[in-house]
Formats: sequence, C-alpha cells, structure tokens
Amino acid sequence: MIVGVDVGSRTAKAAYLEDGEYSFRVVETAKWRTLLGGRAAEAATGYFRKHVPAELRVTEITTAIHGTRRLLGEVVDVIVDIGGQDTKVIDVRENGFRMNDKCSAGTGAFLELIAKQFGVALEELGGLHLLATRAPEINSTCSVFAQSEVVSRLVEGYSVEEVVRGVHLAFARRIAQMVPEHAQKVALIGGVARNSGVVEALREVLGAEVLVPEEPQVVNAVGAVEYYLRRKSG
Amino acid sequence: MKGRRIGITALVPPEVVYACGCRALDLNNLVPESMVRPEDKLCAWSAVWRELLLRREVEVDALVVVAGGDCYTSLVDAQRVELAGIPAHHFIYPFSGDIRLMREQVEALAEFLGELEHEVMDEVAELKAMALRVHEMRSRGELGSRDGFLIEVSASDLMGSPARYREALENLGEVDVSYEHRIALLGVPPIYSDFHEVLAELGMHVVFDEMPYEFIRHTGRSMAEVARSYARYTFALHLRRRLEFLRKQLRRHRAEAAVHFHQYACHHSLEEPLLRGLCRELRIPYLSIEADLPGRTPEQVRLRLEAFAERLGEES
Repeated sequence: MIVGVDVGSRTAKAAYLEDGEYSFRVVETAKWRTLLGGRAAEAATGYFRKHVPAELRVTEITTAIHGTRRLLGEVVDVIVDIGGQDTKVIDVRENGFRMNDKCSAGTGAFLELIAKQFGVALEELGGLHLLATRAPEINSTCSVFAQSEVVSRLVEGYSVEEVVRGVHLAFARRIAQMVPEHAQKVALIGGVARNSGVVEALREVLGAEVLVPEEPQVVNAVGAVEYYLRRKSG
Repeated sequence: MKGRRIGITALVPPEVVYACGCRALDLNNLVPESMVRPEDKLCAWSAVWRELLLRREVEVDALVVVAGGDCYTSLVDAQRVELAGIPAHHFIYPFSGDIRLMREQVEALAEFLGELEHEVMDEVAELKAMALRVHEMRSRGELGSRDGFLIEVSASDLMGSPARYREALENLGEVDVSYEHRIALLGVPPIYSDFHEVLAELGMHVVFDEMPYEFIRHTGRSMAEVARSYARYTFALHLRRRLEFLRKQLRRHRAEAAVHFHQYACHHSLEEPLLRGLCRELRIPYLSIEADLPGRTPEQVRLRLEAFAERLGEES
C-alpha cells in the first residue's frame, strides 16, 4: 500500500493506494497521526508536511497538479485550491502560481466567519445559496468589513439566503482577481469546493468551465501518491 | 565634508563619494536585518532607512538619495530627513540616458560633497574589476550564492572604505558549489535577509543578481568616465533598454529560471508582465515575488520557492 498524507491547517487527509484503487480518510489536523497507523507515509504534503514521517515531502502546489490530473482524468488550464487559511491559484499552462499570502479574504476562513455570523454550519452555506434567486452587492472581501456589510444588507431587507449568495459572489470575485485571463478550464479543489454555492458563483464570475473532482478535499493527498510514483519510476 | 559619513541609497556612485574624501554608508544594506516597522510607509526600503535616520539609530553627516529614474519614494523620505536637520542631496538619473545630463548630476553631487581627488577613483575602478571577476566565479559555481551576492551588493558603499572592500575581496576562497538549477534574480535585491540561503537550500544557485550586478559594472577613473558608465544604468532607463540588457544577461549567464523580486507599493511592480513576457520569450520559468517588510523569508514565500524548485526538477 502506498500512503500519501496532506496535513493542512484545518484538516489532515490521507489517500491509500492499494491494488490500483484509492481509499481516503479525513480527520482534524491534530489527529493526523491516526491516518498512518504507526508507519511512515510514502509522501507527505500540506502546511505541516515537514512534521510528518515520510519518504519524501512535496509542496501542495505540485501535488495539486498531479492529484487533479489523476482525479479528473484531464489537464486543466488553472487549478484553484481553496484551503482553510490560504488560496492558491496554479497556472498549469504557464507554470505559474499565486497565493493570497497577506490576508484571509478568499480563503475558507472567510466563509467560516460568515457561517458563524449566520449561526449555520459551514456545510449549509451551499444549500442556502441555491435557494436565493437574487443577491445584494457585497463589495468588501475583507473578512472583518464584509461582516458589517452583511448586517447592512439584512437590515435593508434581503433574506439570509440572498445575502449568502451575495457573499459567495464577492468571494468568487476575490478569487477571480488571481485567476489568469486565459483560463477556460478551471479545476476547483480543497474543502471549500464542496460548497456548491461557491462553485456556482465562480462559474458565473469567471465565465469558464469549472470542474470539481468527486473528492475535492483529498486531491493533494492523491497528488502526493502520484508524485511519489512518478519519482520512483524515474 | 572631508571624512564625513554620507548615507546613500543605491545607486549613488561611490567613486564620487570617496573621491570627495567622504565615507559612504548604503542605508539600504541595513534594512533586511532591521526590526524597525515604520508607521507610515509605501516601500519598506526607504521607510525603514528614513526611520533609522529620524530616530538617530544610524548617524550620518549627510544624505544622498536616488530620487528619480530608479526610486521615487526616496524623494519624500529624504526630504523628511532633511527637514529634521540632516543635509540631503537628491541624485536623479536622466531617463534618456543622456551622458551630458548624467555629467551634470555627478558634478552636482561632487559639489555637494566637496573637493575631488581622482586617485581614489582609480582604486575603486580596480576594486570593481576584482568584483566582476568574483561575479564570474559565482557564475561558474566556484562561489556560493550568498557570498557572491554580498560582495556585489556591498560594492554600493565599498563596506565603508575601499580598504575594507579590498580585504573582503581578497579573503574570498574558491569553493565547489553543488546545485541543481541556475537562477537569475531580477528586480530589486531581496528584502529578506536569508533569501539566497533559502534558494541554495532548494538547489537553486543564483548566477545573476540584476541590481547588485549593476553596482559592480559601473565605474570610471574620471568624472567623464563615471558619467558615461552610470548613464547606462538600465534600472533607471526606458524599459526597452533594460529588457535588452536582461535578455543578453539571461542568455550569457545560462539562467534556467528567473525569480523576480519586487516590493509592495513600488512602481517597479508594474514591470511584472514585461519581465514575465521576456522569460516566456526565452522559454525559462518565471516566478514573481512581492515582498513588504524586512526579515527572514516568510513561510508562504518559502512554499512558493519550494514548489518552483519542484517544477524545475520535473522539467529538467
């Protein structure tokens, strides 16, 4: 069995490859050791990869490319990886990448704050979005300022669902600033990709094909395994 | 001003400063290690040295800044220092590269500083010729990235005296550097104090540092020669001239990839698409890094560098 682990800021993910079939596990970051069952991983990635016993370590930027290729079965122009604390935009065609490394706007942390403000679970945001048929303009993507704007829109009479939709569109516009103009086929990966509201908003804002792998959260763990295999095969 | 300590910001010709009997201190060289965090700032480089001077943490007798053609935030920061009582002079590169205008600038600088003694210029020219040989050693992998960078970047003020700089040059030993990739560092020097070490750890050997290379390639044994040479300082000229220069240097140094370092709130950041385009034309991978405050290389930037090294490894 070949094990690839991705220990990120919020969750730790493992991909196990056995007899050509993948299986996965996701736990809270603090419990990452339980993914390994006392053995070392073949490959580790993620923010805390240097703490994980592994034969090789690789950045989540490289694993995103390998993991997306494997799980989608095709090559995309751009990969958008929205994590708990950062967002990476990888330009596969131009061999470039950008990160929002200065603030939490456009990251999972931003949506977490918004969910908390509405008193709903993070997972519920996508469902609320799909119930709305209109959206107010939310201009600020600063996590702090957006919260006061959300209150203003609610006071003006917009429903929670409509405001959530507005927040997702603002979020998507923030991400779109990092996406190169030539992108026609975009893969969205990371935990936030399970939020169907964000996916829809990104499709609308980018005007591009947005593909989401079936298991968007474990793409980097799979990519770690794929990278390991590629290195081993020379 | 004989014997006086002159705070400078690169690239003020040190030939002229020493020839006027003064000592040069490149204030920018103090910035990467500084813990000063200015309250009001655009570019951190000029804001940090401004604060160091205003708080009297660094003592200089006068200040000479490049305030045109290359750096613009210095224009205001130097005036603030001047209004606080430190005499200041603004050195401005002619955008056209006109030698006559450049001569006027170096003459005005000499007038601000005092009387000229041309013998010192001979010595500085000789030291810069030695530094160019050191540069070639680094390019051949006979000197580490950081050691080579420090020699080049220190040519801006000759470490406070030509004698000290000569000693540093003479004490360099030849080493055999093992590396995986030859990297060109474009733009301003990194504001992160350990940047070259981080690159080296990742197998990336810097064979060309754009701005520090400018520090060693310009010199002259007379005011006319100094003006002629510094008029070709491409960082201050039309971008067409700079792109031509970089195209030649990237080829000559056989750079396999380029890392473009630029600063938050610096107009040079706007050059990113052009430098990216140049690298695309030369078919070499390009990575753009925008920095802000000084210190050690932040974890996020390290991640990007590591991923860049991985991509280079996969391509080679």
